[in-house]
Amino acid sequence: MPDHFLGVEGASVSFGLEQARVCALRDVSLTFEQGTLSLVMGPSGSGKTTLLSMLGCLLSPDEGTVFVDGVAVNRLSEAERTVVRQKKISFVFQAFRLFHSLSALDNVALGFEIRNAVPSRREEAARDLLLQFGLGGKLHQEPNELSPGEKQRVAIARALAGNPPILLADEPTASLDAEAGRNICQILRSQVDKHRRTVVVVSHDPRWEKFADRTITLCDGRVQRVEEEVGVV
Amino acid sequence: MKLALQNILHDRGRFSVTVLGVSFAVFLMVFQGSLLAGFLQAASRLIDASDTDIWITARGVQAFEFGTALESRVREMAAGVPGVLQTSRVCMAFAVYRTPVGKQQVVALVGADPSVGRRFPVPNRPESADQVSPDAVLYDVSDRKQIEVDALPAEVEINRHRASIEREIHGYGAFLGVPFLFTSYRNAVRYMDFGPDQAMYVLLRLDKGYPLSQVQQSLKQRLPEVDVLTQDEFAHKSKIYWTIKTGAGGAILTAALLGFLIGLVVVSQTIYANTMENIEEYATLKALGASQALVARIVLAQALICGVVGSVLGLLVVIPSINYAKSLISWIYAPWWLPGAMVLPSLAMCALASIVSVRSALTVEPGRVFRA
Repeated sequence: MPDHFLGVEGASVSFGLEQARVCALRDVSLTFEQGTLSLVMGPSGSGKTTLLSMLGCLLSPDEGTVFVDGVAVNRLSEAERTVVRQKKISFVFQAFRLFHSLSALDNVALGFEIRNAVPSRREEAARDLLLQFGLGGKLHQEPNELSPGEKQRVAIARALAGNPPILLADEPTASLDAEAGRNICQILRSQVDKHRRTVVVVSHDPRWEKFADRTITLCDGRVQRVEEEVGVV
Repeated sequence: MKLALQNILHDRGRFSVTVLGVSFAVFLMVFQGSLLAGFLQAASRLIDASDTDIWITARGVQAFEFGTALESRVREMAAGVPGVLQTSRVCMAFAVYRTPVGKQQVVALVGADPSVGRRFPVPNRPESADQVSPDAVLYDVSDRKQIEVDALPAEVEINRHRASIEREIHGYGAFLGVPFLFTSYRNAVRYMDFGPDQAMYVLLRLDKGYPLSQVQQSLKQRLPEVDVLTQDEFAHKSKIYWTIKTGAGGAILTAALLGFLIGLVVVSQTIYANTMENIEEYATLKALGASQALVARIVLAQALICGVVGSVLGLLVVIPSINYAKSLISWIYAPWWLPGAMVLPSLAMCALASIVSVRSALTVEPGRVFRA
C-alpha cells in the first residue's frame, strides 16, 4: 500500500453501458503530498472531475486503488467512506453550494455539525472562521445577499470547519471576477502554507498556475503532463 | 436542526399549507374522537348512573333503549338469591308527549325506583331535599326546545295521562334524537300501561360479603330465561350495540381516519416537494460527510415541526369548537386526555409522511455535487 497522503494508483473509471460506454479515466496513477497545492487542468471531458470525485471518496474506480492517508478507501463501505469524508476531506464547489435558507454563520456552523464538533462551540468557531476571511459584517446574511466572492469565502470557511487535512476544489474561481478569484487563490494557498493542508484544485483558470506546487494536465482520461512549479507565489 | 427549521420557514406558502393540513387532521381526529367518546358515554349513561351491581334484562336485550318486559316473578326470585341485598326496577318506553300548547311528539320515558342510585335521574329520592312532587317529570336542559315548556311546573300529557313537568336536569340529554323524560317508576308504569309489578329491568344491589360472580352465577341458574349481567357487562353490551351494530361508531371512526389520511397526504406531498426542491442540498450534505442519520433527522425534523405547529393550531381551533358544539350535540364529550392523545397520531402521521422524503434524501448520490 503506498504511504502517500492522497492518491490514485492504476485507476480506471468508465460510465454508461456497452456501446454507450465512455472511459473517463484510464490507468491513472497520481500522488498528492501533504502540504501541497496541485492544479488539475485539461479540456472538458478529460476526467478532471472524475479524478476529484474519486479523491473525495464520492466515486470508486472500476479498477485500481484510491488511497487517503494510506488507506485504500475504494475497498471501504459507503458508510466508512462517509466517515473518511467527514474526518479528512472537504470540498469547494464552483456553484458554492451553500444552504440557501441559512445565514453565512449557520452555513459554517453546519459544517462543524457535520464534523461532530461540540454543539456549544460550533457558532463561536464558525464566527472565528468567517472573521478570518473578512466576513465579520456578513455573518447573518443569507447566501442570496452575498456577492459571488463572498459566497465562495463562506463556502471555503464551511469546508474548513472541523479542520480537514484535504481540500478538493472544483473550479472555485470560475464564477468570480478577477479580484475575487485572486483572493480565493490566495486563501487556498495560505491553507497549504499555514496549515499544511493538501489542496487539489480542478480548474481551467490559468491564474492558478502561479499558486500551485504542480500542474497536472489530463487529456482523454490520461495524465498527459505533470509540471512542478518553481516560483510559487 | 436549524437547517430543517429554516428550510420550512423559507417557503412560507408551503409551510402554511402543511400546517393547515395537519391542523385539519388534528381538528377532525379530536372532533370525531369527542363524538365517539360522547357517543360511547351516552350509549350507557343511564346504566352507568345506577348504583347497583347487577342488571337483569329480558333475553337478548342489546341496549338500554330496547328493553322488553320481564315477568313479575323475576324480581321476587332474584330477591331470594343469597347475597342480593336490594332490588330496584327500571322501565323505559317511547311515549307520546303533548306540550302545553298541544304539539305532539315522541319521547323516551324512563321510570325508576328511588333506590336505583343517587346519580340516576329520579324525582324525590328519599335522602334528597327535592322540592318536587313524588310523581314529577324531569327533562334535560338540552331538550328544552323540544319539551316546549315556558315555566315550571308545567302541565303536559304523556300517553294521554296528565303529567307535571317540574324540573330541569343536566347531563341526560337526547341521545336518540328523542328527548328523555324521567319520572318515578310508579308514575312511569301508569303512563306506559304496565302492570304494577312488571319491570323491564330489575337492578340488584349485593351484600358486600358475597362475590359478584358467585351471585351472578346463582341468578343465572335460578333465572335461565333472562340475561343476568353485571353493570359493566350491560354497559359494554349497550356501547357495542350503538357503536358497532348500528354502524354509527364506524361512521365516526371513518371520518376520523379520513382526517388522518388527508393530513398524511398533505404533509407527505408538501414535505416531499420540499425535499426534492432541496435535493441538491442533501447531496451537498452527504458529500461534506453528513451521516445518513443526520440527513434523515433533518427531513424528519421538518415533518415534525409541521406536525407540532399544525397540532397546536388544530387544538386551538377544535377545543372551542367542541365547546360550541355542546349546545347542538349535548352528548359530545372530549375527555381531558383526548386532545393531547391526538397529538401523538398527528406526529406519527407526519413521521409516516416523511418516509418517502427521507428515502429520497438518503439515496441521493453525493457525487452529483460536481454536476453543474
